[in-house]
Amino acid sequence: MVYAYLSILGMALILGVMGHRHTEVNHATVLHRAWRQLAPLLIRLPIALIAASFVGELIPQALFGEWLGERSGLSGVVLASVLGGILPGGPTVTFPLILVLERAGVGIPQLIALLTGWSCFAVHRVLAYELPTLGWSFVWRRWLVSMILGPLSGALAIAWL
Amino acid sequence: MTVFFLLLGAAAGALLAERQGLEAVTGALLSAGELIALVIPLVIIAIVMAAYAQALLPREIVERWLGRDAGWRGLFIAIGAGAVTPGGPFMAFPLVVGLRAVGASLPICITYLTAWSVLGIQRILIWELPFFGVDFVVLRLVISLPLPLIAGITAQWLGEPGRH
Repeated sequence: MVYAYLSILGMALILGVMGHRHTEVNHATVLHRAWRQLAPLLIRLPIALIAASFVGELIPQALFGEWLGERSGLSGVVLASVLGGILPGGPTVTFPLILVLERAGVGIPQLIALLTGWSCFAVHRVLAYELPTLGWSFVWRRWLVSMILGPLSGALAIAWL
Repeated sequence: MTVFFLLLGAAAGALLAERQGLEAVTGALLSAGELIALVIPLVIIAIVMAAYAQALLPREIVERWLGRDAGWRGLFIAIGAGAVTPGGPFMAFPLVVGLRAVGASLPICITYLTAWSVLGIQRILIWELPFFGVDFVVLRLVISLPLPLIAGITAQWLGEPGRH
C-alpha cells in the first residue's frame, strides 16, 4: 500500500513539474478537468464500496470456492472469463464487485481471467463508445479476437504459479 | 449508477441485518470504511496525475506514429501508446477514430485498444493497485504483456472492416 501511494505521488509530481515547464499546459484548466472527473466518484465510490461489502457478507463462500477457487483450475478460468465478459459497468462498479469475489475465495488465475475478460469485452464501453464511433463491423472483429484472451491469461497464470 | 448502488446497498444491508443481525452490518460497514479511507486519497492523486498526462500528450503525435503502413513497429508502438493513454473511453475511442481516419489498420487499432484495456497504467494505479496490491498487479501485468500482440496478430486474418 505504501508503494502504491509513493509511486502514484511520484508520478503525479513528475507530471505536474513537466506540465509546469510546458507553456501550453495551464494548471487551473488541468485541475478543473480533474475535479470534474473526481466529484461524482467521491459520492459514488463510498456507496459502491459499502454496497459491495454487504453483498460480500451475503455470498455463500463455499459455493464460490468450489466454482471459482484456486482448485477449480481451467474450467474455473473459463467460467471466470465469461463472467467477466458479461459484467456491465466501468471500474467504479467492477472493482468493488471483484474485490468482494476475491474475499469470497476466487483463485488468483480465475481473478486474472475475470479482469481480462471484463476489460477486453467491456459490454458497457462497447455500447456507449465503441459501437457509435467505430461500428459493428469493427466491434465483432475485436470481440472475436478478444474471446481467447481471458482463458489465455488465466491459463498462463496457472502455469506461472 | 449511484442510485443503483444506493438501492443495492440498502437491500443487501437489510437482508444482512435480517439474517445475521445488526452486528454483521456494523462489521461490514467498518471494513468498508477502512477501504474507503485507503482508496479515496489514491483516487484523488491518480485523477490529478491523469489530468496532467492528458494535457501533456497531444493526440496528433500518437496519430502520426500509428498511421498507415505502421507495420510491426506500429504494433509495438500501439502497445506502448495503449498502456500510457490516460483518461477513460472518452479519451481512447476518439483516438482510435482518428487513427482509422489517417489509415491505421485493424490489427493496429485492436492492439492499441487491447493494450489500453489490459495494460492501461491509469486504471492500474487508480483501481487495481489500491484494491489488490503490488504482487497481484505485477503477476497480471507480466501475463498480460503478450495479449495485445496476440489479439492484433489474430485480427490480421479477419480482413479490414468497412469504414464506419
